[in-house]
Amino acid sequence: MNAILFYVATVIVYGAVDSMACLALNVQFGFAGLSNFGFIIFQAGGAYVAAILSMGPWQKSNGGFQQYVLGWHLVWPLPWIGAAIFGGLLALPFVFLVGKRLRGDFAAVGLLVSAVLLNQLVNNFVPLFNGAAGISIVPAPFSGKWNPQGLGYQFAYGGVAVVLAVLVYFLLRRVTESPYGRSLRAMRDNDVVADALGKNVRVQRTSMLILGGMIAGLSGAVLVGFINLWAPGAWGYAETIVLFAAIIVGGAGNHKGAVLGALLVPLGFEEVTRFIPPLSNPALVPALEWVAIGLLIIGFLWFRPDGILPERRRILSRSATSAVPVLSSGESDSLINLGNLDQMDFRQLLRLEGDANDHGIILASDRLTRAFHGVTVVSEVSIEIQRGRITGLIGPNGAGKSTTLAMLAGTLAPTSGKVLYEGRDITSMPSNERAKAGMIRTFQLASEFKKLTVLENLVSAIPRQSGDSFPGALRGRRYWGREDVENIERASEMLEGFGLSQYADSYAGGLSGGQRRLVEIMRALLAQPTILLLDEPMAGVHPNLAHKIGDQLMRLAASGMTIVMVEHELAIMDAFCDPVIVLAEGRVLAQGTMAELRAKKEVVEAYLVG
Amino acid sequence: MSVELTKQGLVLSASGLSAGYDGRAIVSDIVIEATPGKVVSVVGPNGSGKSTLLKSLVGVVKVLDGHVTVGEHEITNLAPEEVAMIGVGYVPQIDDVFPPLSVKENLEIGGYLLGRREIPGRIDMVLDFFPKLKTMMTRKAGKLSGGERKMLAMGRVLMLSPSVLVLDEPTANLAPMVATQLLEEFVRGFADHGSTVLLVEQRAKAALRISDWTYVLGGGRVVLAGAPRDLEQNPLFVESFLGGSSTARTASNE
Amino acid sequence: MSVFLSSLGFGLISAAVLAIATVGFTMQFAVTNVLNLAYGSVMINSAFVTYYLNYHAHLNAWVAMIGGVFTGAVASYLLNRFVFTPFQRRNLPPITIVIVALGVDLVGTFGLQAIIGGSYFSYKQSLGREVHFWGMYFSTLQLIIIGICIVVLGLIHWLLKYTRLGKAMRATSANATLARNSGVRTQRVISSTWLISGALCGLAGTVFAMNTGVFDATSAQLYIVLMLAAMFLGGPGSAYGAMIGAVTIGVATELSAGYFNPQYKEVIAFIVLLGMLTFRPFGLFGSEKTI
Repeated sequence: MNAILFYVATVIVYGAVDSMACLALNVQFGFAGLSNFGFIIFQAGGAYVAAILSMGPWQKSNGGFQQYVLGWHLVWPLPWIGAAIFGGLLALPFVFLVGKRLRGDFAAVGLLVSAVLLNQLVNNFVPLFNGAAGISIVPAPFSGKWNPQGLGYQFAYGGVAVVLAVLVYFLLRRVTESPYGRSLRAMRDNDVVADALGKNVRVQRTSMLILGGMIAGLSGAVLVGFINLWAPGAWGYAETIVLFAAIIVGGAGNHKGAVLGALLVPLGFEEVTRFIPPLSNPALVPALEWVAIGLLIIGFLWFRPDGILPERRRILSRSATSAVPVLSSGESDSLINLGNLDQMDFRQLLRLEGDANDHGIILASDRLTRAFHGVTVVSEVSIEIQRGRITGLIGPNGAGKSTTLAMLAGTLAPTSGKVLYEGRDITSMPSNERAKAGMIRTFQLASEFKKLTVLENLVSAIPRQSGDSFPGALRGRRYWGREDVENIERASEMLEGFGLSQYADSYAGGLSGGQRRLVEIMRALLAQPTILLLDEPMAGVHPNLAHKIGDQLMRLAASGMTIVMVEHELAIMDAFCDPVIVLAEGRVLAQGTMAELRAKKEVVEAYLVG
Repeated sequence: MSVELTKQGLVLSASGLSAGYDGRAIVSDIVIEATPGKVVSVVGPNGSGKSTLLKSLVGVVKVLDGHVTVGEHEITNLAPEEVAMIGVGYVPQIDDVFPPLSVKENLEIGGYLLGRREIPGRIDMVLDFFPKLKTMMTRKAGKLSGGERKMLAMGRVLMLSPSVLVLDEPTANLAPMVATQLLEEFVRGFADHGSTVLLVEQRAKAALRISDWTYVLGGGRVVLAGAPRDLEQNPLFVESFLGGSSTARTASNE
Repeated sequence: MSVFLSSLGFGLISAAVLAIATVGFTMQFAVTNVLNLAYGSVMINSAFVTYYLNYHAHLNAWVAMIGGVFTGAVASYLLNRFVFTPFQRRNLPPITIVIVALGVDLVGTFGLQAIIGGSYFSYKQSLGREVHFWGMYFSTLQLIIIGICIVVLGLIHWLLKYTRLGKAMRATSANATLARNSGVRTQRVISSTWLISGALCGLAGTVFAMNTGVFDATSAQLYIVLMLAAMFLGGPGSAYGAMIGAVTIGVATELSAGYFNPQYKEVIAFIVLLGMLTFRPFGLFGSEKTI
């Protein structure tokens, strides 16, 4: 009977440790899109540090085989705190792998290789952590006062471990169910667009690496305090794969899924195999375990990639409009209710403040050039954009319009030339900084955050949210809640104006092409731009709606917003843009109103050449 | 120019064609025909679906409705390599060469369907046509200038000895003089020697000058069609390019 | 000087094995755009088929190697056909395929271990005499391996540069659509690429096992580090880059082993890999457009 109780205590501790680890990895992978294939080193690091901090000085009586201890013999909970801190610090060397430019699978492989190598290093370099033999006789907390082998102690330990796991659960939930969490998921879904809306992708990823690292370190400390030893054999790179399997099975992007996965896979598997009778080949059972884990990964990714408990759809609470059922796919665009758009007062909604009569130069480029492998796509383009006007940018295919826009917005670096914003040279300013300074751009191709609802897509763009930072998220709903409700209201109003209220809680990825374009425009507007750079915003939009949007843009311009629009549809240019700049073959050809341009021979030639 | 560079043409025709990505039609109800010895051009404002139309004819974009035939073969939704085997040569607007391969190797891939012995002979024929390429045979295609690249792209497709030539904006990014030469000498020349040529062009006026028949696309549909002389006189024609007319809307996803 | 030369010698044999492995690995990436992390498991399984033929069927190890090569080719082909291609059709994010590859690696490596157990094996073959010239020491076995490597790489070079299939492979990895427009049956080219690169994988596994002497089911698990370093150094997707990368990494690791500590020789590969990923993920010879 006693044996069973001891066993139960062990299971409780392992369950808690695995849950903490999976919760942390899930925040990195499932919420922030960080494939941390090196996760295990954070847990291992924490375990080693906790062990070292809790061990007493080297004593000859131990046989003298452990030679590296600091001997501080720190009292609990200091070793565990130290472990968490070390886990966080371990994240810092990997910061360079998580910038914007590296492909996700390449970065993941870099982390995997790091885990492999560090394991090798520790295994071979004895002075560090005693090499392959590892550290043993790690004292359990308070082992001086109480007997760690006693049943009561073990259950108490299990209790503490579970409490910690629960605290981690609530902490992580607080982080992810906040405006900051929305930004993380947006970054996961499309990091280029998140960056263009002002999110600092590198900082967000680094923060998640550190947070996850701290929790991983803590989980290692809890484990080592219970099993009293730790060696490289316990943390090969395959252990990370087990945790990934757990999350894939349980449900990435869902905290409860992470816990479920932890209980089913690392815990469940381990315990089930304990009860299999020993076979002729003792290596058989562990080997089959690994085979089963591999098959589990492949099977789930094929049949049920979202896991047992998929990520929940977030329905943002707001004042009840009408009880319209959630539409799950983009039905006919012609059903769009165009009624409201004329009555909307976007100026108030977007808090515009500019002086409508100031038409000074707000944005300029000086001999902007972009070449690619000897092909010059944009050549010495110097343009000036006036405040409070809608400037059109037109030209035949391949004229360099989108490339120029991208260089103005900062998504593409010029080969030479400068970009000046309000007189300052911002050529080397990264795109997310430009977004924060008020330069907002839209994209030609599908750029919605697919696994966020339409309403979440819109709210995520609103700048300067107090809950949209790591410290802000930690302070909880009481801190950012009221402001968030206001933001949600504003986004809902915008949605209603564009006639898409019934899609508020639908996943943005399921809308039709034209509807997604509208979401793009709405999102850009909510980002409170000082200057709006639109890349073919009306493509695929019903002509009537396009005109209504154009009317709204004119009202915005009249209130001081500056707009630059790349478009093909010359009728739109006619109606809304003044001035219009014509690009052809990478150079500025002419500038003026559409009427003036139509009268110019070289423009007609460029379009109809001849 | 050698008579054998392109084969005697076949009739390329599409009827009731709708095509697009992910099940959404970008072009609808297209009826076009291109016959041997003639240059047929497709013009229209940006976003009207011209490129998508061409891609759906050669198997790169999915045909959602309607039929495409070449001669007696039905090629609707046939794989691009099979379309090539039937003798349809396609030159895309961008990504029209293999950048890491040399000029010679690009041409060799163009002649993939030929027997080994035939390739050197055909390469010589293509080089007679584009003599400038002779000095660049070992250069990597990615390092060529815009005009040279286009020549190589056309040379690649000629290796196939196509009976139908489908060209997507062949003069894009070319200097006007080079563009004119390309259209008037080569494109017109191919047709004059018996091939079928279907051409999408941004430079509508230049296309009209060398075409026997022109379709104007707007909003994914054919809005005008006719002989270039007639079209030039038609006021709707200019309007459809410079905007203002209800016929020329960008392709809508309704 | 003698340390340098003898380490150089070790480096050359390391480089030979690594070159064969990496060229196969990078070819798979070139046509399929997938980092096949299951490569190591195919290597070791092929090594074991060779072992089985050598030990139980009593074939000479070099003859048995043909069985290993064959296994690598078939296994890789099946892997692409029944795992990677179906998953890729589903339009999932690229990281998903990498995780799938890891899953396959687990199944392949530990499935083998389940069958053969945890003990160590070695081929029944003689090492031959020890040969030395220019301060470098080789066994006959190693010289044969180096010879095989040179021949095989020469064949690959000939394949890529002079054969219709090789040019079709390069065209397919540069622009698959245009290749199809030119009449290339890219499906078949891709299958052939996996067969050929799989053969390289099988060969690499066998010579790896021969050179290591004693091996078990997990011996090739860490080899992926060296292959990735070599591949990223030369540029992902480039066979010639892989050759150069492999020689560099092979020699560098052994030199560091000779001068510093043999236990940490992989560290050099690690540093190179992380350095390339940070600064030039398209390789020394590639450019931003190639990935």
